[in-house]
Amino acid sequence: MIRVTGLKKSFGDAHILKGIDFEVPPQTVLGVMGASGSGKSTLLRCLNGLETISAGAVECDNVRLEAGLSQGDYRRRVKDLRLKVGTVFQHFYLFPHLSVLGNIIEAPVHVLRTPRKTAESEAYELLESVGLKQAARRYPGSLSGGEQQRVAIARALAMHPALLLLDEPTSALDPRRINSLRTLLRTFVDRGHTMIVISHSMGFLSGVADNILFMDGGEVVEFGPADQVMKSPSDARTKDFLLSADDAD
Amino acid sequence: MFPLRLTLIWRHSAKLPQKGAKLSTGLFCAFLWLTGVAHGQQVLRWGADPSGGAPYVFTDPANPDQYIGYEKEMVDALAQAMNRRAEFVPSDWETLVSALQRHSFDVIVNGLEPTGDRAQQILFSKPYYIFQLQLTVRRDDNRINSLDDCKNRTVGTLANTAASRILQQQGIPLRGYADPVAAYRDLELRRIDAVVMDVPAEAFYARPNPKLKQAGAPFTRGLYVIGLRKDDLALKAEVDAAIDKIIFDGTLETILKKWGLWNDAQAEFQAPIRAGTQSAKVEEYTTTNATFNWREALWRLTRAAAVTVLLALGAMVIAIVLGLPLAVGQWKGPAWVRSFCTLYVEFFRGTPVLVQLLFLYFGLPVIGIAMPGWLTALVGLGLNYAAYESQVYRASLEAIPNGQWEAAYSLGMGPMLAFRRIIMPQAFRIALPPMTNDFVSLFKDTSVAFAISVWELATAYRELANASGQFLLLGVTVSAFYLAMSLPMAHLARMLERRLRDRANERVVEADVREATA
Repeated sequence: MIRVTGLKKSFGDAHILKGIDFEVPPQTVLGVMGASGSGKSTLLRCLNGLETISAGAVECDNVRLEAGLSQGDYRRRVKDLRLKVGTVFQHFYLFPHLSVLGNIIEAPVHVLRTPRKTAESEAYELLESVGLKQAARRYPGSLSGGEQQRVAIARALAMHPALLLLDEPTSALDPRRINSLRTLLRTFVDRGHTMIVISHSMGFLSGVADNILFMDGGEVVEFGPADQVMKSPSDARTKDFLLSADDAD
Repeated sequence: MFPLRLTLIWRHSAKLPQKGAKLSTGLFCAFLWLTGVAHGQQVLRWGADPSGGAPYVFTDPANPDQYIGYEKEMVDALAQAMNRRAEFVPSDWETLVSALQRHSFDVIVNGLEPTGDRAQQILFSKPYYIFQLQLTVRRDDNRINSLDDCKNRTVGTLANTAASRILQQQGIPLRGYADPVAAYRDLELRRIDAVVMDVPAEAFYARPNPKLKQAGAPFTRGLYVIGLRKDDLALKAEVDAAIDKIIFDGTLETILKKWGLWNDAQAEFQAPIRAGTQSAKVEEYTTTNATFNWREALWRLTRAAAVTVLLALGAMVIAIVLGLPLAVGQWKGPAWVRSFCTLYVEFFRGTPVLVQLLFLYFGLPVIGIAMPGWLTALVGLGLNYAAYESQVYRASLEAIPNGQWEAAYSLGMGPMLAFRRIIMPQAFRIALPPMTNDFVSLFKDTSVAFAISVWELATAYRELANASGQFLLLGVTVSAFYLAMSLPMAHLARMLERRLRDRANERVVEADVREATA
């Protein structure tokens, strides 16, 4: 579904990503884990084209974005890639001037040229699956953090992305809502979606991710099935992180 | 050594006489002034408008710190006859009467006509000159040969003169000017169709201009008199005697001949005085009356108010349409676009809008772009306010968090679509209250259009008040007109602001309430 090979990103002399390789099989969730400054967020921004990659390639479905393309080619591939990759930002960034429904149908209607009626009925289905059907006519400002997040998920899914990126989805939620989010995400995976979830919460990832990728200093330290990484990490840094995370939880 | 020194001295002294002459003249004048004061010689302070004031009184082109003109010479002669010292107080034609009443000077000598309405405010001396009016058109214009051909055309003239009254009485659409130069220039630029002016001014400004021609012969005969304050009867007697004296001894004839203003009419008028009969037949000459009634004044004010509103609306449309590209250019444009936009904004914000209008109206025709007054005001104010609007928009656009752009991009939108559908609508809400405020101040700024003779409220006030002397009542009325229009708009601005703020607060509370009850 998505394959990342030799991905590097540097800002001037600062090398943030130093060659990342991984693959996410269809209908699975990859949990990306790591301390602050490990390069998680930069990785996410490279995957949806918000940052220009310095070296390597990102492949999703049949779109291959790689460093060294001409500017025009690169820009076109980024546009194609963004249609394959949906993003739920840490702070959601809902459009405050549009209703919940408006937020969801905006891109399908104006980017995919889906007829408004079709887009609306799809949006209602999505809202129903995130449990917010009754909020369709409300405005983002009147929603709680958890509700906003679910609208953001619905908005991203309305574009039928091959891959859904979630950046720190638990940061705005209390424990009860973290559980229901975990259930919700698993439901979508069962329906055929593929996801990358960036988080530093072990508890959350252990229940939602099939594979775990642990990053430190812009490198992949550990990459494998979730159980294996959690129970018997091979690298000392992962062990340290898991131990301190246990203390925190 | 010795001969060389001699030459130096010789050369030096050769230059001296001129300087010495000037110096001694200056000293002599100062001496005269001192002796005048010492002997208690009184001053005759006279007011006139020297701008475009030829041949009455105007700045000497060869000597710009001095005034010349036939009336200047006449007043000097009169002052001499009165044993006074003449002192010229440069003033403004349209406000001469009120300046006289404010004691800015003692007499008006500026080709003043004895009109019925002025008679209620000031005192007149004996007449000293017979003027006639002359119609002027463009040389290539064969449609107009007399005033009768002007019924449906715009005719320019000095505001509040005999000529303007005659035009008003005949129902000819007129545009009032503050000086003849502007009137003839607008005629040349096809902003108006004809100009009616007193012959002295016409002879000086229009006749030498090859692009203009006289239409028909001079018509009507009117009087020039000197204006005095109502209670200044002693000064009036003095002035009247002096006028008789300079007519009787031929001084005035000499002056008028020198300026090419002597004609049969003057000879006829002066004849009885010079024969010693001492009375000129004033009744034979036309005097005009300005009929001022409130109903007509209100009607004209209403029309002026409509012009004001249209001007403000039109200029705002231009400002909005132009302000947005300026804002975007200054915000996200390439370096050269950014510097151009910054230059534009700094220029239009950094120079007075009045100067910009005058430049557009008088400066642009030099390079062949002559717009009518209303269009100039519209474009000028629009260009000026575009600079202010662009800053409102830029601030509003910059206030939208970057995350909104990123969310739009990650949904597959391009920059144009994201801007149009996501960024601009949000920025618009932020910009709306300051935009409404700007509109209110633009609305008031339309008053600068009076400087280019656009008939809007401020012009209407100035002209009606000058014609009627009703400065106070008309001032209150005009203010009421302005307020009736600007207050609802200010109210609208406040309402919009409150609604946007309330909505934001409401939402926060609403979310808390639902969380609590969930």
